[in-house]
Amino acid sequence: MAEEAAPEASDTLLAVRAGEGDEAAFEVLVRRHGAGLLRLASHLLGDRADAEDAVQEAFVSAWRRLPEFRGDAAFESWMFRIVTNRCLNQLRSRRGTAPLESVSEPVAPGHLTSPARTVESTAAVRALHAALARLSPEQRACWVLREFHGLSYQDIARAVGISQQAARGRIFRARRYLTEAMEAWR
Amino acid sequence: MALNEPADESPDEELLPCGRSLMEVWEVWDEGRAGADPHLGACPHCAAALDELRLLGDVVRQTRTAERDEPETYAVTARVMDIVRLELRPGRALPLGGPDEDTWVVEAAAAGVFRSAAESLPGVRAGSCRVVPPAPGAGGPRGPVRVRLEVVADLSWTVPELADAVRVRVAAAARDDIGLEVGAIDIVVVDMTDAAGEPRPRRRPR
Repeated sequence: MAEEAAPEASDTLLAVRAGEGDEAAFEVLVRRHGAGLLRLASHLLGDRADAEDAVQEAFVSAWRRLPEFRGDAAFESWMFRIVTNRCLNQLRSRRGTAPLESVSEPVAPGHLTSPARTVESTAAVRALHAALARLSPEQRACWVLREFHGLSYQDIARAVGISQQAARGRIFRARRYLTEAMEAWR
Repeated sequence: MALNEPADESPDEELLPCGRSLMEVWEVWDEGRAGADPHLGACPHCAAALDELRLLGDVVRQTRTAERDEPETYAVTARVMDIVRLELRPGRALPLGGPDEDTWVVEAAAAGVFRSAAESLPGVRAGSCRVVPPAPGAGGPRGPVRVRLEVVADLSWTVPELADAVRVRVAAAARDDIGLEVGAIDIVVVDMTDAAGEPRPRRRPR
C-alpha cells in the first residue's frame, strides 16, 4: 500500500541519488530515458547499432559525471546534450575519413527496417530519411530535436552547443532544404 | 564535396516577394502564432511558403507514426548497468560497533538502508542521503555518525510530522538493520507535492 501511495521519484531526485552512488536510482533513469535517447541517436546517425553505442557511452559518461551534476539543467536536457554531442562527433569524424558517397547513406533508423516496418513506412518517409542524411550534422541535429523531440530553441542551442540564433539558422536551412527535397520528391 | 547541402553561414535573410522573411514566416507558423497575423492568410506568397512547410510536416507526422513503437532498450540498459557495476562509488567507510571493533559499512550501503526506511512511510520519497563520520580529533575515526537525509512527500503530511516520522524510521534502521551508532539525524524536506506527485511529464513530440 505504501508503495502505491508514494509519488514516483522525479528525475531530479533520482539524479541526486545516482550522483551519490545509488546505481539502482541510475538504472531507473536509464530505463525511463533510454527509448527517447535511442530514437534521437537513430535519427542523427541513421544506424541502430551506432545509435545503441552512442546512447550506451552517453549513459556511462553521465554516471561518471553525476557526482558533479548540479542539477542546473533537467536530467533529460543534460542527456540530450550528451547524446547529441556524441552523435555529432561521430558524424564529423565519419566525414573526415570517408568520401561523402559512402557515408550518410539514407538509412532509416534500425527499428524501421524490420520487414513489417519497412512495408508500413511509406515512400515519403524514406524520401525524408534520404534528404535528412544530406544535411550537415548540426542542421540535422537542430531540426530533429525540434521536429521529433519538440525541444525549445533554447534547449536545442544548449544540446548542440551553439547560440540560439545559430540554432534558428540551422533549423531554417534544414527546412529550406527538406521542403525543396519533398517538393521534388512529390 | 557536399552536394546541395545548404551552407550554415549564408545569410538567412531570404525575402518573399511580399517582403516578409521566409524564416520568420515559418517560425511564426511553427510556433502557432500564424493566426494572429492576417497578412499570412491573405498573401499568396506566404500561403505558398506555408504549404511547403505543411507538406514537410505531413511527412514528419507519417514518420513519427511509423516509429511510434518505443525502440527496444533492454540490451542497452543491460550493457550500461554492467559497466556501471564495475564503477561503483561506495563512498566512505563508516565505523560499526565499539572502539575495539574493526567493522565498517560503506556510506552508499548505509544511505540505501536509510532511504528505504524513509520510503517505507506512505507518500514519501528519499533523495540525497549523506552519512558523515565523526570529525577527526573528536575521539578518532570511531564514534557516532551524523545522517543528513532529504525527502519529498505528498500533502498528506505536515512538515513537522514528516520530519519526526522519518527520523524515527532512520534511527530504528541504523540501530536494528546496520548496528551503526548515530549521533544526529537531520531531515531536510525539499518538496511537498500533490498526491499525484508525478515527475515532469515526458516531452511529447508535437
